[in-house]
Amino acid sequence: MPPDSLQPLTKSNSGGLEILFSNERKHTITLPARLDDAGQPTIAYLLGHLVDNLMKDDRKELFIMEDNVRPGILVLINDADWELEGEENYELQQGDNIVFVSTLHGG
Amino acid sequence: MPAKELSRPCMDCKEAETVFTVRKRQLCRPGKTQEVRPKILLPLSLGVSSSVLLSMVEAQIQHQLAKPYGKVFFDLHVLVIDPSSINPSNASIDDKYKVLLETFQSPAYTRLSIHDIFDYVPDMKEIIHEYAGSQFADDSSLSNKDRLSAFRASISTATSAADLDYVLLTRLVAAVAQKHGCKSVFWGDSDSRLAARALAGVSKGRGASMTWQVSDGMSPWGVRFEFPLRDLYKTELLQYASVCPELSDIVIPDAPLSDNVLTKNLSIDELMIRYVQNQGAKYPGIMSNVARTANKLESSCLEGGTSCALCGGPRGNVKGNTGVTATTQSGDSEGSQFCYGCMRSRPDLKC
Amino acid sequence: MAPTTCFNCKEARAVIIRPKNRHKLCRACFIEVFETEVHETITGTNLFFPGERIAIGASGGKDSTVLAAVLKTLNERYNYGLDLCLLSIDEGIRGYRDDSLETVKRNAKQYDMPLTIVGYGELYGWTMDQVVEQIGKKGNCTYCGVFRRQALDRGAARLDIQHVVTGHNADDVAETVMMNLLRGDLPRLSRGTSIVTASGGSDIKRSKPLKYAYEKEIVLYAHHRQLDYFTTECIYSPEAFRGSARTLVKDLEKIRPSSILDIVKSGEDMAALVPRDTSQDGKSCKTTAAAEEENTGGCGSQNGRTSGGEMAAMEKQLTENETAEAHETEIQLPQKGAKNTKNTVKSSKAVKSQTLGHCLNRNRPKTAIEVGIEDEEGSSTLMRQMERTQLTNS
Repeated sequence: MPPDSLQPLTKSNSGGLEILFSNERKHTITLPARLDDAGQPTIAYLLGHLVDNLMKDDRKELFIMEDNVRPGILVLINDADWELEGEENYELQQGDNIVFVSTLHGG
Repeated sequence: MPAKELSRPCMDCKEAETVFTVRKRQLCRPGKTQEVRPKILLPLSLGVSSSVLLSMVEAQIQHQLAKPYGKVFFDLHVLVIDPSSINPSNASIDDKYKVLLETFQSPAYTRLSIHDIFDYVPDMKEIIHEYAGSQFADDSSLSNKDRLSAFRASISTATSAADLDYVLLTRLVAAVAQKHGCKSVFWGDSDSRLAARALAGVSKGRGASMTWQVSDGMSPWGVRFEFPLRDLYKTELLQYASVCPELSDIVIPDAPLSDNVLTKNLSIDELMIRYVQNQGAKYPGIMSNVARTANKLESSCLEGGTSCALCGGPRGNVKGNTGVTATTQSGDSEGSQFCYGCMRSRPDLKC
Repeated sequence: MAPTTCFNCKEARAVIIRPKNRHKLCRACFIEVFETEVHETITGTNLFFPGERIAIGASGGKDSTVLAAVLKTLNERYNYGLDLCLLSIDEGIRGYRDDSLETVKRNAKQYDMPLTIVGYGELYGWTMDQVVEQIGKKGNCTYCGVFRRQALDRGAARLDIQHVVTGHNADDVAETVMMNLLRGDLPRLSRGTSIVTASGGSDIKRSKPLKYAYEKEIVLYAHHRQLDYFTTECIYSPEAFRGSARTLVKDLEKIRPSSILDIVKSGEDMAALVPRDTSQDGKSCKTTAAAEEENTGGCGSQNGRTSGGEMAAMEKQLTENETAEAHETEIQLPQKGAKNTKNTVKSSKAVKSQTLGHCLNRNRPKTAIEVGIEDEEGSSTLMRQMERTQLTNS
C-alpha cells in the first residue's frame, strides 16, 4: 500500500454511546495510512479524529477524559478487549473493527 | 480479693501503706509513680500534622508540670523515621532533627530508617521472602538497606508500592512501641488524611483493618493506636502551626499535589487523598464524617481469628461475614499466611 | 502484536482480561467461567430452593437481561428446578420505558418466560411523565425510586411470588459501600452488602445473584452472547452519575481493576464489625429494609446509582446536624510572639469535644452521633407530598 493511501475501518458504538455520534451505531472511517510524523495511526489518533470529525454532541467529556477513553467505556479491537492489544497505542490495521461500549447506562 | 484496710494508703497507688513522705505526698516508696506511668510513642514524620500533635502533647506536659505538686501522667517517646529512607528524593532532615531535639527537650527520641525494620522485626526477612515469591530474588548477603530496596523494586504498581510502604512503616512503629514498652501510639493524622486512609483501605480490601488503622483501637501487636487529631481539619492544623514559631524550622511543608498526573498512574492512596481534598472543598462535613464512621466499628469482633504475617490484619473473612468473595471467588488468599489485602499487593499480580 | 492465547483452554484467542485476576480468556471460556461463578454464588449462599418461583425484575437493560439469560442457562444446566418469570415496571415515561419494554417483550420470547408488566399509572394513578409535569425534573428520581420498590413488590404479590431477583452487580454494591461510608450510615453499612434483603412491608424476599459480577464482565457477557438489551439512559436523569461515588469507583477500577471486588470484600467484613445495637437499631423497621438496600434512584436506568445531588443533600444534612449538636472542638492557638496571650479558634464541627486529655484517659467513649439521610422515612413523606400535589392539582 502506498504511503499516502487511505485506510478504511469500521467503528461501532453501543451501550448508549451512539447518542453522541448522531445516533448512528456503525460508522465506516478512512484514515491516512501514514501520519505527518510518519507513524501509523493508533487508537489515540482515532479518538482525536472521532471527536473532531464525527461527534455531533458537544459533551466531549462523556466520551473522552484525560485525553483517553472515559473510565466505564470499553473498547474492543476486533472483539478483543483493547488491553490485550496495547490500548491507545494499538496501530490500526486495514479493516479493523473497533467497538466502543458504555457500561455506564442502566441495568 | 477483698481490699485490705490501709491506715495510711499511698497517695499514688492506694494499694500499700505509706512508707515515705516526699514533699507532703505520702508514698509507699519513692519513684513508684515513674514506674507506673504509661509511655506513649509519637511517630513524627516532621509534616505539619504530627509536628502540631507533638507541640500539643508537649504543651500538655508543660501544663501538668506547672501545676502545684505538678507531675506528668505519661512519658513521651518520639520516633522519627527518616523520610529519605522511604523516598530517596526526600531531603536530609539532619538540620531539622537537631532543632527538634533543642526545641522539645522532655521526650526521649529514636531516629531510624525504614530498613531498620529487619532489626526490629527479625522475622521480616522470611516474611517478605515468602510474600514476594519468585518475583523477588532475595540476597541475604545484602545490607538491610539494599535488601529492602530490592524488595520494593519488585513491586510493580504504584498502588501496591504505597500500600506496602504503609504496612512496613506501621510494623516498624509498632515494633518500636513494643520494644520501649509503650502502651499507645499517638498518630498525627488529620481528619482528611484519615478519611483518605479509610476510603483507600476499603478500596484495597482492607476494610477489617480500619478498626486500628483509622479507628482508636488495639492494634494486632498489643499496642493501642490512637488518632487524637481525628476531628481537626488540615487547614486548622496549618493555622495552628503558623502561629507556633518553634515549629517553623522543624516542619517539612507538604509538597503540592501536581495537576497533570493521569488517574491510572496514581496509587489508590494518592487518588483518595486527591478525592478527599477536592470533595472536601465542596463537602467538608461528608469528608470528616468518614473517619468518624470508621471509628464506630467494633474491633472486638476481630478477636480469635488468625492474623496476616505481613500486615497483622485478619485473614479470611471476619467472623460473621457470610460473603463468598474471600473464600470461593478469589481463591488466591485461601490457605495463605497473608490476608486478602496483602495478596492484592503481591509483586506477581500486575493489578 | 501476536494474539494472546486463552489462559484456560490454551488454544483459542483470548478476547477478555478479567478485572479481578487479570486472567486472559477466550470467548467460550469467559462465558463458561462467568456462568460458573454466578452458580457458585447461588449455591454458596443457598439462594434458591427446588420448585421456587422467581420473578426477575427486568428493565430491558444490560444487568437484568444478563441475569435472565444466566438464570435460564443455569436453571437448565444444574436442574435448579426454578419457575422463572419476568416482572417489569412501566414507569410511564414515553420515549424511554415504552422502548425498553419492547426489549423485555422480545426477551420474554427469547427466554421463553412469562412476562408481567405493572404500571405506575394503574398502581398509583400517576405516571412518571405526569409526576415530572407536576414537580419538574429535579428530584423526580427519588419519587421514581420509591414507587419502583413498591411496584416490584406489588407485582410479585399479584403473581403470588415470594422472591424477586434484581440485576445489581458488584459495581453497584461497591458504590453502595462507599456511599454508606461517606454518609456515615452504619445500619446500611451492615446490610448493604448482603445478597438477600427483606422487602418493604411484605414478606417478599429480594436478592441479587450478580453481586460479585463486574459490570464490565456483564457488558462483555451480553456482547459476546449477543444478548438483546436496551441501552438508552432515562430521559429524566441523563447525567445523574456525575460527581458521584460511581465516578470514584470507575477511577479505582482504572487504577486497580480488582478494587471493585476488594470494596465488596471490605464492605462484607465491615458489616460484621458494625456494633450490634447499631445494626439492629429502631430505624430498621420492616417497612424500610428494602429502601436501605437500594440507593435513591434505584431504577432500571440508574441501577442503585447515586447522583451528585445526593452529596449536596448529605452535606446539608450534616451541616444541620452540626447546628443542632452545637459541639465544638477548641483549638488553643498560641499567638505569634506573645506566648502568654491565647487566641481561641473554634472549629464548627459536629463532634464531641475531643481534647488530648480525653485521649490520654483511653476510656474516651466512641463518638456516637448518628448522622445520615433519613430517606427511610422518605416513602411516607413522599406520599404525603404527592397527595398535596394532587390536591393542588385538582
